[in-house]
Amino acid sequence: MIAYNKTWLNNLRVLAVFKGNLEQGRITSEEFSSISAVYPVGFYTPGFFARFGLAVLTFVIVLFGDGLLSLMFWVSGAVGPSGWIVFLALLSYGSLELMIHTRHHFRSGVDDALLFLSAFQVIAGVAIFLYAGDENYLALSFIIFLVTLFLTIRFLDTLMAAVCVASLFSTIYLGVEKIGAIGLTVIPFVMIIASALVYLAVMHVKDDIALNNYQYCFVAAQVICLLTFYAAGNYYIVQTLSNELHGTTTPIALAPFFWAWTFLVPVLYLGFGIKRKDIVTLRISLLLIAAAALTFRTYYHILPVDIMLTLSGAIVLGLVYAITKYLKHPKHGFTLEAPNQANLMDDLKIESLVVAQTFGHTQTPQNDDAKFGGGKFGGGGASDGF
Amino acid sequence: MDAEFYKTLFDDGLISEESFNKLNQPQQHPDLSVHWEVRTLLYVGVVLLTGGLGLAVYENIDTIGHTAVLTLIGLIAAGCFIYCFRTTKPFSWDKVSAPNAYFDYILLLGSISLVSFIGYWQFQYHIFGTDYGLATLIPMLALFFTGYYFDHLGILSMAIANLAVWMGVSVTPKALLLQNDFDKGTLTNTYIVLAIVLLAAAFLTDRYRLKKHFKFSYQHYGVHAGYISLLAGYFHYYDGYLAAVYMLALFLLSALLYFDAMKNKSFYFLLLMTLYTYFAISCLVMRMLFLAATEGALYLAFFYFIGSALALIFLLIHFNKKLKTA
Repeated sequence: MIAYNKTWLNNLRVLAVFKGNLEQGRITSEEFSSISAVYPVGFYTPGFFARFGLAVLTFVIVLFGDGLLSLMFWVSGAVGPSGWIVFLALLSYGSLELMIHTRHHFRSGVDDALLFLSAFQVIAGVAIFLYAGDENYLALSFIIFLVTLFLTIRFLDTLMAAVCVASLFSTIYLGVEKIGAIGLTVIPFVMIIASALVYLAVMHVKDDIALNNYQYCFVAAQVICLLTFYAAGNYYIVQTLSNELHGTTTPIALAPFFWAWTFLVPVLYLGFGIKRKDIVTLRISLLLIAAAALTFRTYYHILPVDIMLTLSGAIVLGLVYAITKYLKHPKHGFTLEAPNQANLMDDLKIESLVVAQTFGHTQTPQNDDAKFGGGKFGGGGASDGF
Repeated sequence: MDAEFYKTLFDDGLISEESFNKLNQPQQHPDLSVHWEVRTLLYVGVVLLTGGLGLAVYENIDTIGHTAVLTLIGLIAAGCFIYCFRTTKPFSWDKVSAPNAYFDYILLLGSISLVSFIGYWQFQYHIFGTDYGLATLIPMLALFFTGYYFDHLGILSMAIANLAVWMGVSVTPKALLLQNDFDKGTLTNTYIVLAIVLLAAAFLTDRYRLKKHFKFSYQHYGVHAGYISLLAGYFHYYDGYLAAVYMLALFLLSALLYFDAMKNKSFYFLLLMTLYTYFAISCLVMRMLFLAATEGALYLAFFYFIGSALALIFLLIHFNKKLKTA
């Protein structure tokens, strides 16, 4: 079912493990090179910048290629727009399979771009078809789910996996919404249960040896589940959606429950993240604590903005101080040492660029018109989610 | 990876007995690093705190008074710099690591306060009169000194941005500031000079080993400023003969950058060179094709983009291979 060469995928994993062993001095570099000779990897996988450049160029080719084909054939009007776009999607998909099978591209930018384009084109074609009648979001999100599920299984792509899980949830949401009055009342709880179930299912199969090619897809699914689980009970989201669906502005029932949810779930995540030493849950919990604070702020303005900002800044800095003190020497399996693998962040010196972006223009008040050469690049696509 | 797998490797003679034993020792789970998380929190905290304080001052300026605010900012800057001068490691033209985790942030706070102090003073009391060149020159020099003396890449980037401001301001100060209307040609050429200065700085940094790791910042800003201002110049003089000069200068820049990137094995700059040059060549080709405004030209344009992008893909793959094997 997987499009890529499975032996090579396996060898890639073996080599990754031994690279770790090499860095920690358990094997010598001669041994590592003899192991890599026995476990060859024939994929074409260039570095990050080459991947970025190849992806951009692939986009250009597909864009102009499709444009040219449309100019030559589609103007005759033999097929409708949706059929034509699906046909173009099939062309992209065909080239994707071709590049993988003949040129052995793997995460090279070329396959990433073609995968994204074929998914996008199929979905766009279907959407045009569906919108020709009445707007049928339920059918659309179900089709997105099916398409991305297939692409995830075949191409092990994390973005596709994330979209797949998200579209599954939106299908459930739209389905329940259709039921009527009862559906509207129970939507938050249905979503909470659904995301919890998917999360548990993912956690259950995550370490299955037979599925270990999908480890990053599972991480993406985990992230979407955690976010949905929180969002389904967040006071602001529940209130806004209920107003929209009922067409009223009355306060929602069970408000205390949703308020408790808004504040307790991030703390719960934080606790789980620390206990399980799971960096993904830990990061999400930090993000959601900020979301909880913003939710509160939306409804209660007990403090003026300036005092609130200063206070929260002081609290965060105090927290950082406490953590640094506490973790001065690694404790309970946590350390403040930078991870030792060569990091892309260091490569691009991201931190200095961010500093220049945020603080670079705070000097004399009259410099705003003249920031021509200053930090326009801003790290490009470097913040991709992996 | 389990013991059985290591055993097969050992039996096949791929690893020595010593390594085999090391692999089979109960492996300690490496500590989970929260380095970047804590750093991000620190950054968010600094932004929140400074934002909140700034807003508080802004809203209460009538009761606080400018002198008090100015004094406060000055004291913060002085405090930070005194701390940094006391704790820093001795100066060297090589890379010097920070003495502790807070050092970089305290230095950053000090530099921002210093720059705001000078800016505020000028804005409120006009210490430099209308000499905006001087008003931007002094913070710039202070930032360059701080960046080099304490070895701080972020402050170096701020200094480079300030250099751009200073050059822009000193060329067309009045028109730029008062009417928001300036001679684009002059400004473009100023930024070409900026790019040359930055690229020269990158070269000298590398050549004379003056904080070698600063080269990336100079080159990064220099390359972008250079390409963007050369393209801007090309479009500004689109119909004049000067356009050709800008284009030729752009190709010269590409050639220099190519050799430098190959020498230093930097795919990042090689990619920038390729994409900017591709954009420039495409501009020329489109210009030629649109001279003949026919349907055939439109088809040719499509074919050009498909063909050239394909060629470029092979070129990038070739560059990548060359950098790896070279």
